[in-house]
Amino acid sequence: MPLFGKSQKSPQELVKSLREGLTALTRETGEKKLDKASDDVSKNLAAIKTVLYGTESQEPQTDQVAQLAHEMYDHNMLQLLVTHLGKIDFEGRKDVAQIFNNLLRRQIGTRAPTVEYLCSRQEIVLDLMKGYETQDIALNCGMMLRECCRYEQLAKIILYSEDFHKFFDYVEVSTFDVASDAFSTFKELLTKHKMLAAVFLDQNYDKVFDPYQHLLNSENYVTRRQALKLLGELLLDRHNFSIMTKYISNPDNLKMMMNMLREKSRNIQFEAFHVFKVFVANPNKPKPILDILLRNKDKLVDFLTKFHTDRSDDEQFNDEKAYLIKQIKELKPVEET
Amino acid sequence: MTIGENLIIAPMVMADNDKFTDFLEHDANAYDLHGLEVGDQLQFINDDDLNFIHRVESDQILYHDQGRKRAKMVEKYLMGDLLGEGSYGKVKEVLDTETLCRRAVKILKKKRLRRIPNGETNVKREIQLLKRLHHRNIVKLIEVLYNEEKQKIYPFVSYLLSRIYCLAYSLYRYMIMEYCADELQSMLESAPEKKFPIWQSHLYFVQLIDGLEYLHSNSVIHKDIKPGNLLVTLDQVLKITDLGVAEALDMFSKDDTCKTSQGSPAFQPPEIANGLETFQGFKVDIWSAGVTLYNMTTGLYPFEGENVYRLFENIGKGEYTIPDTVDKMLSSLLTEMLQYQASKRITIAEIKQHDWYRKKFPRTCDIVPFPCHPELDDQLRCMTVLPYIEDLHLGMYSDDEEYEESEDKLDLQPVQHTPVEGNGTQVNSHKTNEIVEETIPNSKQKKHKTKSSARRFKFSACSQS
Repeated sequence: MPLFGKSQKSPQELVKSLREGLTALTRETGEKKLDKASDDVSKNLAAIKTVLYGTESQEPQTDQVAQLAHEMYDHNMLQLLVTHLGKIDFEGRKDVAQIFNNLLRRQIGTRAPTVEYLCSRQEIVLDLMKGYETQDIALNCGMMLRECCRYEQLAKIILYSEDFHKFFDYVEVSTFDVASDAFSTFKELLTKHKMLAAVFLDQNYDKVFDPYQHLLNSENYVTRRQALKLLGELLLDRHNFSIMTKYISNPDNLKMMMNMLREKSRNIQFEAFHVFKVFVANPNKPKPILDILLRNKDKLVDFLTKFHTDRSDDEQFNDEKAYLIKQIKELKPVEET
Repeated sequence: MTIGENLIIAPMVMADNDKFTDFLEHDANAYDLHGLEVGDQLQFINDDDLNFIHRVESDQILYHDQGRKRAKMVEKYLMGDLLGEGSYGKVKEVLDTETLCRRAVKILKKKRLRRIPNGETNVKREIQLLKRLHHRNIVKLIEVLYNEEKQKIYPFVSYLLSRIYCLAYSLYRYMIMEYCADELQSMLESAPEKKFPIWQSHLYFVQLIDGLEYLHSNSVIHKDIKPGNLLVTLDQVLKITDLGVAEALDMFSKDDTCKTSQGSPAFQPPEIANGLETFQGFKVDIWSAGVTLYNMTTGLYPFEGENVYRLFENIGKGEYTIPDTVDKMLSSLLTEMLQYQASKRITIAEIKQHDWYRKKFPRTCDIVPFPCHPELDDQLRCMTVLPYIEDLHLGMYSDDEEYEESEDKLDLQPVQHTPVEGNGTQVNSHKTNEIVEETIPNSKQKKHKTKSSARRFKFSACSQS
């Protein structure tokens, strides 16, 4: 490896020359000079990574790490790296993600200095989200973003940002790996910090569930299936009780699930079943919901009786199905009071 | 009629299926065994077990052969050594011979379950719950196997009824689970001062809270959190186990109000110790997790008492002290978790914000390792299935019931109060008569299953004469 001599540099020198390299990358126009700048940046990144992660023979040294972290904060390095990520070469980008995540995980007692730093420099996190718009850096940004999601303060910044709604586009982009990466970040945001997510969903119910309907109607099979599965998880999570109650009171949602029960894909049918069951099991069905179920009573009983009959070894599913059939059979119109 | 005549009948019957069916049906009527399918009986007949004399002999062979490890398969799982024993049955190490995954099996015997209050209901509930729970910190249930082999026929001699046959079967349920190295309880017991170094407590506590958060978000209240129900894998991942007394809330119930609890007394919160009609379920788990944390970090219990009544009295008063060795941050967390009023008690979300939870504890060398158990002198937890594999491929592998036998012997204990022992010692005496007469009405009351082991021993005694 070409990095032996370099690791002797002090953290200050490393950050300084990385900064110079990045400036050169953005300013220079000549091909040769650009190549050299890019080379320098990658080398410095690799050296910084070595300071943070150590080598096979040497553990990372705490004082070096502390100095490096300070230099990085002082020189606004995280912002610079994220902004110019597209210009850094392939290996360099991976190193940036590793450096970023290592600094983020850094803890002194109960404090997480990088998390605090990012809270005061929210634009860095928001820039990372925009990374999903550029295919080349999308996955690197995704890695860093998901590391951010682990910290409630940072997850909150992302959830409540103006740009959160863009996730509904990101998860549907045509590049499959980017779309699925965006989806896993999206899912992490809505499931990792349960109280935070529950409050957010409650406050922004329409802002989330309106575009969510589009995901469920997506042309893309994977999006449709993943979105449906996540919906089931969200609704069945006890933290989201009020959201579930709201969701199952809307007849449009019921119609959609009934249609999805008849989708071509068996997997989607099965996921839809797990959302549909909540509508039926609800002991206080609002009138519009009850009306739809009553109107389709016979058809539903017939349909469910024949629904996935080959899942004979799945006891829970069969119990639930039997329960639903019984519930639907016993449905009676309520006298209006 | 004598034993000899009975023996002669058996091979004859085997030759003539029609006759045999009649013959068995007749007996089934006599013994109230209508539930049995004729098909089952025939299938059973085709087993080699019919020749009961051979059975007894193999029994004796085994007796001489105790030290050897005999391979025993349950479907695709090869049995290893005993890992532990609970009130419901044994836990053994097994090897999935198709995937070569290391697993543990909880062997539940119906007979035993019956004797435990709510035993069967609890097991059913646990299986149902575990099937839908998938989390890193909840023990994973891989599959459940049922074994309803009809094993043996035990003929009895009586002067009142000339031929009495009884089908005995032992019903097993095998719960195949993830393999774990040990439980927190035995690790604590082996540790100096019965406690973990602070970083190790933290390592487990954080995972316990993660697992609990998952359970609670799935509307499940564990109700029996304690070190004895927390397993640790070889790579130090904590797994919450034993959901036997857990409660799943109704999806539409607005809050977590519960009415019953069967958890371990020392870990119960004041609201249960005081016998309140209803209480908040999630807060019960928080309290028990608090007692667990207290126990892991100090080696002590916040509340004690020479019996359950005293213990509950003390919990009910809610007075406890935290030793001086506990630092301020941890002591504040413990105080919050052991808050007398459930409504004031800390929530999972708040625990996750607590400084002690978030603090990073550097790992030191003073780790409490997995202890050596007397029967398995192995701290590293090497695979115990190996000798059985050897037997399976090199030894004289036979698919006999050696395994069930050892299970049966365990169950013999309570049965010994019946006149069986007397019979065993007084072979050939006229008392045999009375004893048989006693057992017949029992079997009519469908109790024959619990008596099977007793009968077998009685019979072997007779046959020796």
